[in-house]
Amino acid sequence: MATRRDFLLMCAVASGLPLVSPDPRQAAGADVPKKGGTLRVGFYIEAATMDPHFSGSKIDRQVYHNIYEPLVTLDVKLGIKPGLAESWQQPDPKTLIFKLRRGVKFHDGTDFNAEAARFNFNRMKTEPKSVRKGEVASIDSVDVVDAYTIKLNLKRPDAALLATLTDRAVMMVSPKVVQERGSELERNARGAGTGPFEFVEWVKDAHLLIKRNESYWNKQGGPYLERVRYRPIPDDTVKLQSLQSGEIDVMDYVQPRDVAAVRADRNVVVVDVPSLADFAYQLNHTRPPFATKALRQAVAYALDLDQIVKGVWLNVGVPANGPIPPTSWAYDKTISPIRRDLARAKAKLAEGGQAAGFTFTMTTNNIPINVQEAEVIQAQLREAGITMKIKLVDSATLLADGNSKNFEMISYQWSGRPDPDGNTYQFYRTTPGTSLNWSGISNPQVDALLDRTREVSSQSERKKLFSELTKILQDELPMVFIIHPIEPKAFSPKVQGYEPIPDGMMRFKDVWLQ
Amino acid sequence: MGRLVLRRLGATVPVLLLVTAGVFLLLHLTPGDPIDVMMAESVDATVKETLRRELGLDRPLHVQYAAWMGRLLRGDLGRSIRNGEPVIESVSRRLRPSLELALFAMAISLVIAFPLGVVSAIRRNTPIDRAGATFALFGICMPNFLLALLLIFLFGVTLRWLPISGYTDPLEEPWNGLRSLALPAVTLGLALAAVVTRTLRSSLLEALAEDYVRTARAKGLSEWRVIWSHVLKNALIPVVTVLGLQLGTLIGGAVITEYVFALPGVGRLVVDAVFARDYPLVQAA
Repeated sequence: MATRRDFLLMCAVASGLPLVSPDPRQAAGADVPKKGGTLRVGFYIEAATMDPHFSGSKIDRQVYHNIYEPLVTLDVKLGIKPGLAESWQQPDPKTLIFKLRRGVKFHDGTDFNAEAARFNFNRMKTEPKSVRKGEVASIDSVDVVDAYTIKLNLKRPDAALLATLTDRAVMMVSPKVVQERGSELERNARGAGTGPFEFVEWVKDAHLLIKRNESYWNKQGGPYLERVRYRPIPDDTVKLQSLQSGEIDVMDYVQPRDVAAVRADRNVVVVDVPSLADFAYQLNHTRPPFATKALRQAVAYALDLDQIVKGVWLNVGVPANGPIPPTSWAYDKTISPIRRDLARAKAKLAEGGQAAGFTFTMTTNNIPINVQEAEVIQAQLREAGITMKIKLVDSATLLADGNSKNFEMISYQWSGRPDPDGNTYQFYRTTPGTSLNWSGISNPQVDALLDRTREVSSQSERKKLFSELTKILQDELPMVFIIHPIEPKAFSPKVQGYEPIPDGMMRFKDVWLQ
Repeated sequence: MGRLVLRRLGATVPVLLLVTAGVFLLLHLTPGDPIDVMMAESVDATVKETLRRELGLDRPLHVQYAAWMGRLLRGDLGRSIRNGEPVIESVSRRLRPSLELALFAMAISLVIAFPLGVVSAIRRNTPIDRAGATFALFGICMPNFLLALLLIFLFGVTLRWLPISGYTDPLEEPWNGLRSLALPAVTLGLALAAVVTRTLRSSLLEALAEDYVRTARAKGLSEWRVIWSHVLKNALIPVVTVLGLQLGTLIGGAVITEYVFALPGVGRLVVDAVFARDYPLVQAA
């Protein structure tokens, strides 16, 4: 059980940032957790679905991590620790065996066992609406060895699979609930999970309520909270004011513009949770002007990332050297982000046959911080003689334009995955047709490297491969990498025991209210 | 009479067809599609195609429209693409908060506009009238979101008298419900009060110049009685028309207020559905 002081310390250590001073009003003896109370959490948008196998929205995961459990989970250093599986072994690169925990029950009272686990794997692989298919694509079949042992037979070695299994892929859903009320599960997850909290009700756009699972298998620590009430409060200012006035106890994300003000507020504790995210712009390799490598490089050399991170993001993040965030074991700090060099940018323009500069259009989301960033980039590029037009669109249009490669340069904000594979493979591996490889990069060297990172199981070996990949990406530029943002979360000082894991998910098992 | 009603009803059919076809076409012509939004993180193109086929989104537009119309005629508005919920349930659940908010806002506007409009008309061109005009100008010019944030800052953050965001149903918890709707209702009500004050004032002034008013005064009726029993009745006709028109706008169009105060109303449902390209939901709403 981490105390609040521990949690602040862990957070500061993990983020490499100065320690936030603890609230001076912290009562003596506050370290003894107590049961009860309702934690009120403010989110920026509504959850999309309660079915983890159908979910494509980050906000859903915030709820899932309290009601559902995967086979393995993450610790604060992104290490993998037992979840519903108490141990695992890999006898050969294409076999993964999980020993499942005994005595775990779904909230509907049915047993969690090997059959239930196999049911979930099969559901993810075969349900038409399953968004998890890609994540479990390397699994060929799942065998039930005995009542509490399953064996995954892989089509090919997949070093990233274990980390993938820490999130929605293999969050275990009660087979009985799926069979009896499958179509309803998206809106009503009653009885469906095994987690420390049970789903109670979801009134769309009003609240989503979960309550303590009294028969939770893990008797160490919490759950302490009686209930957790999630509320979507779309306006950031109102959400912050709701926290300051005591209407909510937690807010999922503090906008960079508000961070300084909130830090000064003694009634609020800000926690800088380092994220796995990677915010960048994809450059379309399949059409002019960015089919020409030199012109991609001209754009990259014309950008001043330090200025963008400082001026737009107000230092709530660090300049990116590639797709892998500093929180990852694979991050190579010896590789610097691309530095601004106007002379080199102009030389690259000449090399690309556009010595007098060129004009292109950048597509981005019509939200304030994206617009600001676009305007700063526009001004920076102008100094190199490059004219950038800005096309502002909503998310649906952005996705449609990206998927159909109907863009020249397009904003891409990826929330990140615990294994570097999740931030790289699907974006840079040659993929015909629609995929997340919006840039259309197709480079045999990159493909070979990416494949190799999946085959090799040694972490140090994989780190070398990812470093090599990052260097090639800086040269080939399927994306210009901008920032690895920090995700500041804000709490009422009475909230204790929160463990900030860099995937940004708020797990409330050990959280309690003072 | 019966034929007139039938003719009128008959005339609404092409209008309805035109409106629904227009909305349908506009929605589908907007770039982006619901599957892309739902599966933003999916790399598997075949999964998306399968789902598109399953939901009938791969069929030509006129076929999709005909299928939707066919279901509509059987009383089935379809299901939300995003979460599979019958859209009739989504919309009807949102109607209650929207209706409550609209009525509350209207009540507030009347409480303000009625005395202010009457006094402004009776005391025309006096400082009271000018104060009324200033209030109306303020109410009409002030953007909803700004007024909402100012009210939140004053009553929610500084004084802490009222909740800032969220919705409690007044029919279930009257006191908390009214408190949760107070700030949004004032936000909407002030703007409406401004319009109603000016409408009532000008309509009263017009009525006060009528012959029957002179007759009533000549009969020796008190000024109060002249206004209350004779003038107001006639002067209220345009006010009722304005209120009727505004009620519709308040129920479906209070999007900004619903967003700022995080209220689960119809306006927010429609906007979210448009962003998610949830076609059946937008069509139904």
